Amino acid sequence: MTGTILTSPVLELLDLHRRFRDVVALDGVSFAVPQGRIVGFVGRNGAGKTTAMRIALGVLQADSGEVRWRGGAVDTDTRRRFGYMPEERGLYPKMRVLEQLVYLARLRGTPKAEARVNAEGLLQTLEVVGDPGARVESLSLGNQQRVQLAAALVHRPELLVLDEPFSGLDPVGVDVLSGVLRRSARSDGAAVVFSSHQLDLVERLCDEVVLIDHGRIAAHGTIEELRASRARNLWEIRVRGVDGSWWDVIPGANRLHSDDGAVVLELAPTTDPQRVLDVARAAGDVLAFGPVRPSLQELFREVVS
Amino acid sequence: MSAADRGAWRLIAARDFWVRLRERSFLISTLLNLGVISVLVLLHASGGFGGTPTFDLGVVGGADVVAIADAAASLGRTDITVNVHIYPDTAAADAALTDGSIDAVLTDTQLYGLESVDTRLQALVQTSAHQAAVDAVFAEHHVPEAEREAASRADPLAVGALRPAPPDRPDNAAVAFIGVLLLYGQLFGYGMWVATGVIEEKASRIVEMLLSAIRPQQLLAGKIIGIGMLGLAQLLTIAGFAIGLALATGSGVVPSTAIWAALLVIGWFILGYAFYASLFAAAGSLVSRMEELQNVIVPINLTILVSFIISIGSLQDPNSTLAIVASILPVSAALAMPVRIVLGAASGWQIALSLTLLIGSAVAMVPVGARLYAGAVLRTGSRVKLREAWRAA
Repeated sequence: MTGTILTSPVLELLDLHRRFRDVVALDGVSFAVPQGRIVGFVGRNGAGKTTAMRIALGVLQADSGEVRWRGGAVDTDTRRRFGYMPEERGLYPKMRVLEQLVYLARLRGTPKAEARVNAEGLLQTLEVVGDPGARVESLSLGNQQRVQLAAALVHRPELLVLDEPFSGLDPVGVDVLSGVLRRSARSDGAAVVFSSHQLDLVERLCDEVVLIDHGRIAAHGTIEELRASRARNLWEIRVRGVDGSWWDVIPGANRLHSDDGAVVLELAPTTDPQRVLDVARAAGDVLAFGPVRPSLQELFREVVS
Repeated sequence: MSAADRGAWRLIAARDFWVRLRERSFLISTLLNLGVISVLVLLHASGGFGGTPTFDLGVVGGADVVAIADAAASLGRTDITVNVHIYPDTAAADAALTDGSIDAVLTDTQLYGLESVDTRLQALVQTSAHQAAVDAVFAEHHVPEAEREAASRADPLAVGALRPAPPDRPDNAAVAFIGVLLLYGQLFGYGMWVATGVIEEKASRIVEMLLSAIRPQQLLAGKIIGIGMLGLAQLLTIAGFAIGLALATGSGVVPSTAIWAALLVIGWFILGYAFYASLFAAAGSLVSRMEELQNVIVPINLTILVSFIISIGSLQDPNSTLAIVASILPVSAALAMPVRIVLGAASGWQIALSLTLLIGSAVAMVPVGARLYAGAVLRTGSRVKLREAWRAA
């Protein structure tokens, strides 16, 4: 994962506000998505993820604020280049799989022949089991989910917005989808935004994370940047054959917790970790020593709590 | 608006057309329509309705009573046919009346039917009975033949009309009846198809996918046009079949009248469908499940049903105030006006006013329907209130 954003943003959300009656769904949401990168959109239920995505796609109107694509306003023509997987999955249940994908691609202006080639390729890539001539309703739910993904991708979009694309997929499906998203971003240069509650997955897959809370952007950056800005200076040390609080002699070191010989210390910015190591080695055999890297899960809890 | 943008409604229309064309319900409704039309055309060809009225009059009694019946039959001339059947007693006559082989029984004291006696038959019999009584008085007083002739010179009054109805109105009424029946079925059926099509897309949630690609107005326009084209295609098939059948069976319908009526029905279907379809779509977009459709569709259904009933009534009296008003008001004109046109009862200014109002309000209704649709179609769950839908767009 690269540390800094090198590519210019293609999708920009600028100060979006949206209320539903007396519920404020978005309270000034702004963030940008660069080309060729995968952005994870995380937040608690009701934080405003779906509303922000719907507004980005033009399915819903913002009360105020603006969505820009490559620096310009979003109109029907630009929206054709977006791919969308709504939270509420939806396909014509009685329409045949291939026919439906070709139809949805053509609605977005893809020529028929090209749409067919794309659709057939996607059904293979996404490992959709079943006859492309079968009706959608006859497929298993997992396969319907894959067809739904194919519907978002079939016109080779420049922007992919996926609302909870991983929910309902088996582990193999998760791997297949991860591969497809990586390829869309890396090879095809698409900007990818997806929401998910599977934070380990987001951590593995995403170049950047946008964290939304109560309709506001609480954090945005690469995982490393989030760690740097949010994480405390924590170090874990495992020492064998020592009793007592050997760390007490180090100024600016506070024990957070310890168990079974492993101690987590929070160091003051001025305290050199090497000094901690020296003291530990003097006290006993050091088995492990290193910074504690908080998971996205932990960062998330810290931000939204 | 780009070329691709303009093309979106065509794709929608083509899908809605072909998907429904392949549905079994379309095949069934087409066959049903053809069946009903065949029955009506064949019935008309055999003089089953709209032709010369024919009565079977049973007679019980002596020669004088039979003479009255015969005189009534001859009074009917060519307009009304009266067949006289003689029965030995009232029991036999009543049995014939009960099984429907005769329409009324005449004895020396009364004329009676099973439930009632047709007023035309009544008039004929009463006239001839009256004539017989007068003749009897003349005979009793030995009035000379010449004076009798003078007294009973019953040259009927010449009957005329200030604005005579077209002489072929009975045939035209048959055509108009078939036409208005078809129109009602098509307007109602295809309007319902628009509403259920909208709900299908809402219920299956595909609508959010569609609206991320195109605008609600394009989706609505495509759906209305696609389903309307299917209705039109079905109507053309049925009309072609009906005209062919009418000509083949020699039902007495003038070909030019039938073709003219068919064109009228098709033209008024397009206008009426344009008026109602956006309302049906808007109604469909307010609910999320098929079961809830009935609640929102009732006002539209009732409007069409009442218009249909008025149109059927105006077959008898196309110039009643109700018939005239209904044929001019846009909510009912699509059904009420073509009947009056086929019967030759609508005047030029009435047709012009009716067309102007209907086309004007259909044009006005499309954006209203589209706005309600756009405001409501993404709202799933409970029924959307009209005002909310209007404001949300």
